[in-house]
Amino acid sequence: MLRNMIDRFVGRGEAAVTVPPMDGALRPNQALEQAAIAAEARAPDNLVNHRGDILFSTGRELRKLGADSVVHSFDRSITCLAAAPDGHLAVGLSGGEVVIVAPDGAVNSLPAAETSHATALAFHDDALIVCRGSTRHSVDQWKRDLMEAGTSAPGSGSVVLIPRAGPPRVLADGLRWPYGAWSHQGRIIVSESWSHRLLALDPAGGTRPQTVLTDLPGYPARLSAASDGGLWLAVFAPRSQLIEFVLREDGYRRRMLNEIDSDFWIAPTIANGRSFLEPIQGGALKQMGVLKPWAPSRSYGLAIKLAADFEPVMSFHSRADGSRHGTTSVLEQAGLLYVASKGGDVIVSLPAEEFVEP
Amino acid sequence: MVDTIAIAGSRDQRARAKPSLAEALVRARYKYIPDHVVGEILTKRWIDNVAPFTFLIITIALFGCLLPDFFSPASLIVSLRQLGEFGFVVMAMMIVMVAGGIDLSVGSNFALGNFTALAAMNILGLPVGVAFLCTITACCLIGLLNGMLVGLLRLRAFLTTLVTLIIVRAVVDMLLLKYAVQISGAFVDSDIWDFIGSGSVFGVPFSAVLLFVAVIVGHVLLSRTRPGWRVMAVGGSRRSAHNSGISVRWTVCGTYVVSGALVGVASFMYAARLNSAGSDAGFGMELAALTAALLGGNSLGGGRGSTGKALTGAIIVLVITNGVVRLGIPSGAGSMVLGAVLLLAAGLDVRWLKNRHKVLSKVYVSPTVNDLPPCPPTAVGSGSPYEVNDKLKDVEVIGLGQVEAPEDVIFDRADNLYCGTRHGDVMRFLAPDYKKLELFAHIGGQPLGLAFDRDDNLYVCVGGMGLYRVAPDGVVSKATDETNRSTFSVNDDSRLRLADDLDIAPDGRVFFSEATIRYEMHQWPVDSLESRGNGRIICYDPRTNATHTVIRNLKFPNGVCLSYDGQSMLFAETWGCCIKRYWFDGPKTGQVETVIASLPGYPDNINRSSDGHYWLAIVGMRSPAVDLAFQLPGFRRRMSRRVAQDEWLYPNLNTGCVVKFNDKGEILDALWDLKGVNHPMITSMREHKGSLYLGGITNNRIGRYRLPNADANWSGIEDYWGRT
Repeated sequence: MLRNMIDRFVGRGEAAVTVPPMDGALRPNQALEQAAIAAEARAPDNLVNHRGDILFSTGRELRKLGADSVVHSFDRSITCLAAAPDGHLAVGLSGGEVVIVAPDGAVNSLPAAETSHATALAFHDDALIVCRGSTRHSVDQWKRDLMEAGTSAPGSGSVVLIPRAGPPRVLADGLRWPYGAWSHQGRIIVSESWSHRLLALDPAGGTRPQTVLTDLPGYPARLSAASDGGLWLAVFAPRSQLIEFVLREDGYRRRMLNEIDSDFWIAPTIANGRSFLEPIQGGALKQMGVLKPWAPSRSYGLAIKLAADFEPVMSFHSRADGSRHGTTSVLEQAGLLYVASKGGDVIVSLPAEEFVEP
Repeated sequence: MVDTIAIAGSRDQRARAKPSLAEALVRARYKYIPDHVVGEILTKRWIDNVAPFTFLIITIALFGCLLPDFFSPASLIVSLRQLGEFGFVVMAMMIVMVAGGIDLSVGSNFALGNFTALAAMNILGLPVGVAFLCTITACCLIGLLNGMLVGLLRLRAFLTTLVTLIIVRAVVDMLLLKYAVQISGAFVDSDIWDFIGSGSVFGVPFSAVLLFVAVIVGHVLLSRTRPGWRVMAVGGSRRSAHNSGISVRWTVCGTYVVSGALVGVASFMYAARLNSAGSDAGFGMELAALTAALLGGNSLGGGRGSTGKALTGAIIVLVITNGVVRLGIPSGAGSMVLGAVLLLAAGLDVRWLKNRHKVLSKVYVSPTVNDLPPCPPTAVGSGSPYEVNDKLKDVEVIGLGQVEAPEDVIFDRADNLYCGTRHGDVMRFLAPDYKKLELFAHIGGQPLGLAFDRDDNLYVCVGGMGLYRVAPDGVVSKATDETNRSTFSVNDDSRLRLADDLDIAPDGRVFFSEATIRYEMHQWPVDSLESRGNGRIICYDPRTNATHTVIRNLKFPNGVCLSYDGQSMLFAETWGCCIKRYWFDGPKTGQVETVIASLPGYPDNINRSSDGHYWLAIVGMRSPAVDLAFQLPGFRRRMSRRVAQDEWLYPNLNTGCVVKFNDKGEILDALWDLKGVNHPMITSMREHKGSLYLGGITNNRIGRYRLPNADANWSGIEDYWGRT
């Protein structure tokens, strides 16, 4: 208690606003900014490999990459996707439940009590893994969820395993916005976005959740498999000193949440610079008409490749001066890496020689 | 892009309705407690003396309480007499320390002086004046020896003076062995000798009077004369002193000689007082003097010190040593207390030197409540006069890459275009096509606001320098760089730090704004973070060459423009987001009234338009997050301490616009360019013959917007001063 007060006064310990640097394997580059456009769509989100085709969600529609065709359309916007090897698709819907689309097109709803607020889906063998971001706010209110939680408040998110037959099981709860899941070497790897880390969960529920990667310099989103046995991780926004500071400033944050439109909050976002009413930071002041790539930014584009032991080995960036921000999903397929930029309204692709180590 | 801009105003207004008691308290706290003064006081040089002085008060109070008769007149006179002698020795130590050295031989030198004085008076029977000269000479010679070894041969000061300490003490002991009996046996019959030893001036012992005179004279010498500055410079940084042509070796040598002389004076008075040839004269005095000098705040590393500090330290040490003796504490305890105090002083000296600037940087920035009125909407369809558009999208570009940071632009009678650059030049684009660029004048500081007077002299506000005047032939002369100092300001606000924009009244008086008196030009973001009324409007009268401040406490005043009535100036308050009018003439002289109470952005320069109205550059737009931060000073203060400046929340200066308003403050037109490709940033605009020319302080170009339906023959200089 006293320790906390002193820390708050002098700005150290929990009150320090240090942010891990983007260095080593995370050293910035312009790879995403220079990558070829695979598709343009409004806020493209979750990429999945559905029997060799790449499907992605955009608003209420499920589209096929390269075909310019709507595979399926729903009455609410899609929050997340997963494809099972047998051709079943799981689709999370905003403000509701997860539905299963069978290969023949039949749609079945899963019980909303276990699947609402789905932010990410994955299949583990036959079972469906559902990441439920938070029970306090709907998925499109993610910014409010983060800003209300601050840096340390426990989350209300959970990860639920739904077997094809049998009752659903909660693998972990009290999570701070789980936003990605993938089955990896018999365990479920989950990205806990507001805590900037990856957790490994035991699908049998035997062992406690284990932290496998911490101190990410951004807010992690979806996970997917890399062809060499590793994982791909999408990071949609950077951590910044100012946001970390605001997350510790309860008075300011409370008034900001009450009085200001969420587009203009000091908060991570999927795209910035759309309006002059948005907050800007000192380094983002244009000099001689130029915005520097290292300028502080509230949004970012980043795809990280993790080795099988979760060590980052490679990364692709879209920096402050770029526009391919809000990267929420990465998918490697047939020698190409696809990255969905939700803030930049594009899906870009990188050829194998850029990301496969010789 | 335009359609995505929402209106944030409505939410703002709802929340603003009722300030709570807590908010009112916060506001009152920031209104009435001037916490910026703390930082300003910390920048003062005399702040070094506060801790020693406090310690002095505590010491005196402590011993005054413990020993009831400690400050009785009789006791006080004895103490003062000792102080007179000891004070000189501390000054001797101080002068050496200021130049970066140390003199451990003061104690034995004192003993030598004592012996010399007694020998001259008692054995040789010399007159007092001659004996005094002998004593001083003897001590100076020891000082010279130290000075030669330390200054000229550059031996280590500590070791060298330690050696002289031992040798001189040995010599004195040998001499005493031989002459002590002779000295004790003789009797000196001299009134002057007695007066020096036990006389008083108006009840104050002679030695104390002499010390106070020496302190004052010494202070003037050290702080106001060339030799004093040299000593300070050598102590502050030997290398810099050497590079600026000071003879470091001789200066160091000189300080030891002066030290010797001061010790000589002290020992002569000691001899006169006690007339004792004992071997304990000056024993352990180097330790006491060193402690006193350090305690007073003289730095061991050199460069910081004064006679006043030496006096403070001398009093503290004397009170402690005498007090400990009088308390009846067994012998040895006095030295122990002194040692402990020395340790404390040395530690404080190091910590203070190391951390002072850190403390200063933490407390200097002191934000206050800047409660702006609701922000007018700018969205398309809001019906606001500020509605965004893309009129400036196709601005033509002049001199791309040739000029950097043209804050303001102006035209002469021959239609040539002038602007400043951050390299300290005033540049001139030649009419009619503005392709050819030439250097008009080099000033050195960054030119900001520009204005022509009746005789075609160009007046220029130069950041960091003041108000300058460039004659039509390009000759630069200073108009003014200082104004009257405010009566109660802690910071010396007589110098101009950031002269910003100006205009000239019909009678030739120049009214110009100084954006802030607390920060330099490149620190403007810190001033915005503070949003305190740090700026002012100043008047320079070329007829009398006098300058005086006319309005104070403005939030980054900017954009001064003469009104069409010829009796008032319009000016903008950038962080206040408002336009005000100052009457310098006529029935309302001296009054200030608000013309526009709330702008959607941060106003910069104001200039006349051809249709009898005014153009206003809005350099950046208000964002709700910044408006909210402006209401919460504690948030901003913590941000300034915890977050790197590049990461601070800034006013958004990446998007701006130009608006036209009339004398009533009504907005008549708004020109926007949201993408800012051709002309990214606008700090100023000047209408000239049908076009609007744009300047921007972070730009490398000048913009030209052809105004539809504008008077193609109108020019500012003719509007002000008529045709020639």
